[in-house]
Amino acid sequence: MKVRKLAVMAMLACSCVAVLALVAAIGASRASAQIRTYTPPKTAKPGADWTERIEEILPPGVESRAEATARIAAYKPDPVKYAVPRTPWDGKPDFSGVYWPDAQIAPPPVPLESLYRPDAREYREGGGAAAGLIDWRGIDTPNYHCWPPSPVNGSMGGTVQLVSAPGYLLLLNEGGSNFRIIPIVGDNEPRPSAPHKPSFQGSSIGHWEGDTLVVEVTNFNGKPWLGNAQPPKRLPQTSSDAMRIVERWSRPDAQVFEYQAVIEDSKMLRAPWTTPTDRRGILPYDTVQESLCFLDPELDARHREFAAQQAKKSGAVR
Amino acid sequence: MSRRAMAIVAAVVVGAALLVGMRVFVNGSGATGSAAKGTVAFSAKTAWGEPNLTGVWRASTLGAGSGRDTFNLAKLEGLYTAEARTRMNGLSANDDPTMRCTPPGFPRAAMLGHPIQIIQRPGFAFVFTQAYPVFRIVPTTGRPHTSAKYLFPTHLGDSTARWDGDTLVVDVISFNGEGWLAGPQDKPTNASTGVWLTSDALHVVERWRRVDAETLEYQARVEDPKTLTMPWETPTVVFKRQAVDRIEEVICRPEDGPATYLARLGS
Repeated sequence: MKVRKLAVMAMLACSCVAVLALVAAIGASRASAQIRTYTPPKTAKPGADWTERIEEILPPGVESRAEATARIAAYKPDPVKYAVPRTPWDGKPDFSGVYWPDAQIAPPPVPLESLYRPDAREYREGGGAAAGLIDWRGIDTPNYHCWPPSPVNGSMGGTVQLVSAPGYLLLLNEGGSNFRIIPIVGDNEPRPSAPHKPSFQGSSIGHWEGDTLVVEVTNFNGKPWLGNAQPPKRLPQTSSDAMRIVERWSRPDAQVFEYQAVIEDSKMLRAPWTTPTDRRGILPYDTVQESLCFLDPELDARHREFAAQQAKKSGAVR
Repeated sequence: MSRRAMAIVAAVVVGAALLVGMRVFVNGSGATGSAAKGTVAFSAKTAWGEPNLTGVWRASTLGAGSGRDTFNLAKLEGLYTAEARTRMNGLSANDDPTMRCTPPGFPRAAMLGHPIQIIQRPGFAFVFTQAYPVFRIVPTTGRPHTSAKYLFPTHLGDSTARWDGDTLVVDVISFNGEGWLAGPQDKPTNASTGVWLTSDALHVVERWRRVDAETLEYQARVEDPKTLTMPWETPTVVFKRQAVDRIEEVICRPEDGPATYLARLGS
């Protein structure tokens, strides 16, 4: 009898402990899910945007963007001192980081313009396939429309965040808040089908060649311009739906990443063009900020007016 | 073995079973399995042991109108303050920020019926939307929000998250008060204006949970003391996995108007 009583008591005690543990655990889990009361910021930072932040992110002792760019260009990567970070899931270089500014460390072997096919001139005179441009000779370039930058033109313009994730490299642009999702396939994996519609940024497929991520981009919509075309002084460097880009992404050390691409476009270029090699320095941040691109209606109206005036004034330029 | 010892063993077993049960309850069922279809592999946990939310996901279009309310919007409508109602009476569909291609924040983005993509790495989840393409960066370590020095109001707000068992609980603050909580076509009652204002006091707590290989659930709690008298809860939105490795690139052009734009997105 005594033994049974003890046993019952022990069971009760154990159950109590278990129930208490359960209650405590649920309480803890609730507490961990508890969100602190939110007090909104008292004052909005007036006119805050990513360009303002660029002034704030200059490394100590660096006065200007130009100086930061020069330092990045002159930098000698040191993988012993700054070991290349590697991902825990496949041991490949981890590109994750926020980078700025971009510095050209090797010029293109030949200028892009020298490779344009003469018979593409008429097409280029007309502004290419960028339907929706009012007058490309004015200030109406694809960038103006908040269209996503092509891999070559502009996607490397401002502060950029790269993210390595299992099976992906992500490119998050702070300026414009646009992004590229680059699937990475392994040596033995089948390539994912690309049923996507032709697009400004194309369809990307990456694979590793040693520690270099090689990304093939096809399926473009023919609208992006290559290079920094500045009409009306220069013809737009148009692309076509035949464009194919092979990019090489590398991480020489923990401080920088480097990027180079080869562009083929049989309808526009006589031969493949090799881009400059660009290098970017890593910043002590792990997120870019929201900075959306808006086609301001008022500016749009003024722009349309300007374009019309330009067209009227200049008549047929060239 | 004495009866006493047996009883103690039994009690310990009962206690352990309770504890194990609780662990399962807290951590979820942890379904395992490979991809049911398509080329996208699926595992319940990431390589670093977190619940795996990675994938391209799509839910049904949700909203209210024609006597149907699939997003608890009648309830939301009743929560607006008198002051907010007065302001909303002076606005119309043309004031909806998506008319200017402004991306709607969540939870409205979960109503659209268009694909989203989630990609994870240790410490972060990234949420991409196909309609009104934009990305959200969601730290998953439970770290504090962006420091006051860099925090400024935005359309999508500032997110930080922690795992509550197998549920990712995302806390979103620092909205700019321009977004709407639903669209102008959403009219749950005869008195509805189709205007759904927010303020810079908007605070959203989202719960993202991978239910199984094919299913992701989303639910949000919305509070906005400047426009709503009480917090509002969305229903659970059920996203189904799409057998693709990335969402499409879609361009919003204001001149198309949202109806044309959304129609052009197709399926």
